Amino acid sequence: MNDIVLIGDGPLAKETSDVFTERGWNVWAMDQLDQPLSSSCAVVDTVTGPVEEKKRLLRRAVELVPNDAPIWTNTLHVTATQVASWVPHPERVGGFSPLMIKQMPLVEVGRPLQAEDDDVWARAVQLWRYVDKQVEVVGDEPGLVFPRTWAMLVNEAAFALTEGVAEADAIDLAMKKGTRFPMGPLEWADTIGVDQVVWILSGLVRELGEDRYRPAPLLRKMVYAGYTGRAAGRGFYRYDVDGKRQSSEISKVSI
Amino acid sequence: MTVDPIVRTAVVGAGTMGNGIAEVLATAGKRVVLVDVSPAALERGMQVIRDRLRRRVQKKRMTAEEMKQVLDRIESSVDLSAVAEAQLVIEAVVERLDVKKSLFSQLDEITDLEAILATNTSSLSVTAIASATKHPERVIGLHFFNPAPVMPLVEVVHGPMSEREVVDQAMAFVKEIGKDPVKVTDTPGFLVNRVARSFHSEAYRLVGDHVAEKRQVDRILRAAGFPMGPFELQDLIGLDINYAASCSVYEGYFHDPRFRPHPHQRQLVDSGSLGKKAGRGHYRYE
Repeated sequence: MNDIVLIGDGPLAKETSDVFTERGWNVWAMDQLDQPLSSSCAVVDTVTGPVEEKKRLLRRAVELVPNDAPIWTNTLHVTATQVASWVPHPERVGGFSPLMIKQMPLVEVGRPLQAEDDDVWARAVQLWRYVDKQVEVVGDEPGLVFPRTWAMLVNEAAFALTEGVAEADAIDLAMKKGTRFPMGPLEWADTIGVDQVVWILSGLVRELGEDRYRPAPLLRKMVYAGYTGRAAGRGFYRYDVDGKRQSSEISKVSI
Repeated sequence: MTVDPIVRTAVVGAGTMGNGIAEVLATAGKRVVLVDVSPAALERGMQVIRDRLRRRVQKKRMTAEEMKQVLDRIESSVDLSAVAEAQLVIEAVVERLDVKKSLFSQLDEITDLEAILATNTSSLSVTAIASATKHPERVIGLHFFNPAPVMPLVEVVHGPMSEREVVDQAMAFVKEIGKDPVKVTDTPGFLVNRVARSFHSEAYRLVGDHVAEKRQVDRILRAAGFPMGPFELQDLIGLDINYAASCSVYEGYFHDPRFRPHPHQRQLVDSGSLGKKAGRGHYRYE
């Protein structure tokens, strides 16, 4: 295998694409292909967005690859089982998390029910070994392990901010100094994207139906306003054109 | 309110938090009266301080002369009235509201009106503790983290009654003793314990629902940059301590489902699997 059909744009797609190109793979966007690819390829979908759009893109992508090509789909907000139900030969579909995929030495993957007893799936997992990622097979639920934990941390920090427990930079400082977290939850949300937090939490609410996953209203409002983080120039903090954080007195989200 | 710099301090309770805080204060050049009603507990607390300082001397992080000076700044007493001269009293006794309230009503009588009274509680309402005094405006929380000599963060907790100048003075004081102060409103779990709840409770759920195994969760979260996975961390903290924090935040928010502890969490605590200190928790230890 050496060709990847990549679905999605934005920071997660860029990072995932880098993982493959840095190890000598050809990464194709769908509109770069005027004919189907050969037998040695895979689809990697990085979309965390409306389910209908994701379905539409995936169905187009599978037409560009052979019937046995592995299909890896971002399951930050859906299950691999649901995604597999959209395509022919669902046993080749796997869920994965593109969150911090460049930095992390491992990749979390989830196996759809349709691939329960199929060794096609086991072969599909090889893809990650070719790009030097350790594979952690976890349960097929939205957000897998790290993204789900991260989203819950950000959500709680957003609730605390809404309730006026402390100011944004105080929350970040406290979590770094009090628990040695690698980043404050709010600056972490700005780095990865506030919209990603809302997608993960909404997916958990939809699939698990529990109130504990309800996104903080502030997060939703920030997404409506386009305050999705560093890449947008504004999230919990403001950033200049180079993505550098501006001074803290104008950093507060008005709530 | 006082504008004099705080130089005379007192710590009530010579247990883990109390002796750690006393050491921090004395090391930063403050005079400290360490009080405990139990002579045995007081002696134990002083011994812990001496041992810790001695290790620092051995590691050449402090000279023997500096160690002597630090110890000279700490006076110990079994008599609460020894705190009378202090400009700042930090309470670090057992986490029971009735005990703390009765102590604060005594401190209210013993101390100068300009003294700041602080509680190191991690789980009780600062406002409820302050209500036991005639002057709740001078009561705040100074939440040090364990081990106090090592952890840089101090949550400066203010309730609706706390006077702004008192809070500002406490913020400046915490900075002066070399710690990082964060101003926090008096809410259940304050800030760190409350936000960190999700790190622990989601881990229990992932394992409880068979999404992942404990070792896997720890491995994945380490790979994401956390210094420790949630289960390793709980073993270090003590599962009982962590469970108590979960329960207190859950109670404090009137059983908001977001804060609901996991049955497995209680089961482990009930079974005596309390973590490293018990030889077993989520993992086994030699």
